[in-house]
Amino acid sequence: MRRAACLTGALGMLLCCLTAPPATALPTMIRLSYPNCTSCHIAPQGSGLLNAYGRGIDEAQSLRNADYKETDTSRNWFARSITQDFRSINLESGSYATGQPLTGVLRSRLQYRNDTELGAGFRLAVIGAIEDETDPRPALVYEPAIIPHTLYQSHDFKLYPYLVNALLSFRFNKNKEISFGRDQLPTGVNIPVLDTLIRTRNRLGYYDNPTQLKFFWWCKRYQLVPYAFAPGGNEPKISGRNSGEYGGGSLAEFDLLGKERTIVGMNILGAESQIERRRLVGPYCRLGFGSWGILAEHDITDRTYLAEAPAPHFRQQASFVQLFWATREWLVLSLIGEELKVGNPFKEQVAAGTAEAAIRLSPEFTITAGMGYQRNIVTEMVDPTAFVQLAMKPVFKGAVTRHQHH
Amino acid sequence: MKRQACICLTAILTAIVLGVSSVHAQSGPQPTTQMLVVENGLASFSVATTVPVIDVNGKSTALQAHAQISRGGNGITIEHIEATLPVRTIKTGMAMRDNHMAEYIFTTAKGEVPDMRFVSERIDCPGVAPGHETACSISGMLSIRGVLHAFSLSAKVRQDAGGASYRVIGDGIIKLSDYGIERPTQLGVSTSDEVKIHLEFSGKEGALPTMTASSGGSK
Repeated sequence: MRRAACLTGALGMLLCCLTAPPATALPTMIRLSYPNCTSCHIAPQGSGLLNAYGRGIDEAQSLRNADYKETDTSRNWFARSITQDFRSINLESGSYATGQPLTGVLRSRLQYRNDTELGAGFRLAVIGAIEDETDPRPALVYEPAIIPHTLYQSHDFKLYPYLVNALLSFRFNKNKEISFGRDQLPTGVNIPVLDTLIRTRNRLGYYDNPTQLKFFWWCKRYQLVPYAFAPGGNEPKISGRNSGEYGGGSLAEFDLLGKERTIVGMNILGAESQIERRRLVGPYCRLGFGSWGILAEHDITDRTYLAEAPAPHFRQQASFVQLFWATREWLVLSLIGEELKVGNPFKEQVAAGTAEAAIRLSPEFTITAGMGYQRNIVTEMVDPTAFVQLAMKPVFKGAVTRHQHH
Repeated sequence: MKRQACICLTAILTAIVLGVSSVHAQSGPQPTTQMLVVENGLASFSVATTVPVIDVNGKSTALQAHAQISRGGNGITIEHIEATLPVRTIKTGMAMRDNHMAEYIFTTAKGEVPDMRFVSERIDCPGVAPGHETACSISGMLSIRGVLHAFSLSAKVRQDAGGASYRVIGDGIIKLSDYGIERPTQLGVSTSDEVKIHLEFSGKEGALPTMTASSGGSK
């Protein structure tokens, strides 16, 4: 077991020694007039590999602040068509609930990301991951958690592999793309942190990747993303009822003032599984003002729990607000507020706050540290948390050179 | 006698003064020339790129200008305008992009990075009056990295109620090709040739320095 752990660590270190960028660009880039993910990411939904321009921006937004240049790959199909990387994310977090001892978690996740241009506008994207600690969203009566299968298990070490996405896409032109496969559903502010309340309570956790067909249409002042989805096959059954959903929805957003810095939008979704039916309306905004900005989303979900008769209806409201300030291009400080309200018969009321600092040393290394609390207003339990996350993202991408700018 | 002569002279002078005033009242105020000084004006730009959602925006608050301004009965006349903008003060929010901009746009073949400079001999803005906003066209020659080309702004000029200061907001377009500048390309993304310019500044009238009264001003 220790050998396996050492091997994983050594592999992570080896990968870190390899050169080149990408990274997860952030919705906070709205501050610099990047209104959505299409500017920097290969996939218009973002959160995957970066395109060449995105790699340049990623480099420019780091403490190293070097000048990224790509070499000519026109004669090398492999380098021209395939972008891939390994990405290691290590999270150490500690928390204690009221009256409970301190608990700490060290979670390591290794991802392999591959994006292959097939020609004629077709593209295949695959992200696979393996981790030693799962991070499922809360297991609720009406929305059971998805837990990946175990690949390896000993008495104190486990490995869980899972598929993050597998998408076949076709790009019609510069601003229209259709995709089919398994992925996370499109969402409003599209924050990369998947354990926020607006994500964990709306089936947007780490292992939620239903089969879907989605269409992206983006222009300077708007973006439309209609989508339809079906179970991904990894959803659990409860008492013989499958929690996998069939449904559809659409994201629609608009640049209010026309400077690519004031995006307001709405996500509308309807879905039904054998356990529940839900209707979501989620207004959101991404606002940028140079060095600072605001990301906000408020999701209202009307749910019907179908496993009981008569089926109870209840409303869930989940809110997220992030105020961020890029004191340096490579240092972003944030204050995050969250709130969750769930109506009877599954009453919950939770408020949470976090202060965090994201330090981008280079495209390969990002450190995020923060502290916060979560307060359950129904039970009066308060759960303080502190965390440090190190993300390491070496990439295998053709031949790249980097010139330090003078 | 002397006293009578003195009274008579005073009466004549008074009559002359009153007469002059009366003429002024009938024909409007005579133009008075003042120095107009602009400090820390805002200059911003926006340029589209070959990628639909990427625009490059930047701004500077270091716009300096001086001119001579004459207020007449029908608006203002601004003469001997000279405005400068140190290009290193233009920031896009990304240091690397600022470096690229300075290198690809503003650096001459000799490696110099001269200020942007706008000059115009005369601009008439009819209709400018205290407390009112008036549209006005500002035309002249703009120099970028030492290359001169005609440039004009559509501006709105507002004179404050006191009459001694002006607020100007203007928009114009420059073409990089007019200045012999190639459209910059970075990692597959190229900018458009046309760059939208937006200016906002306030100018205050001041005493006209003796040295500059006839020469059109100096920095």
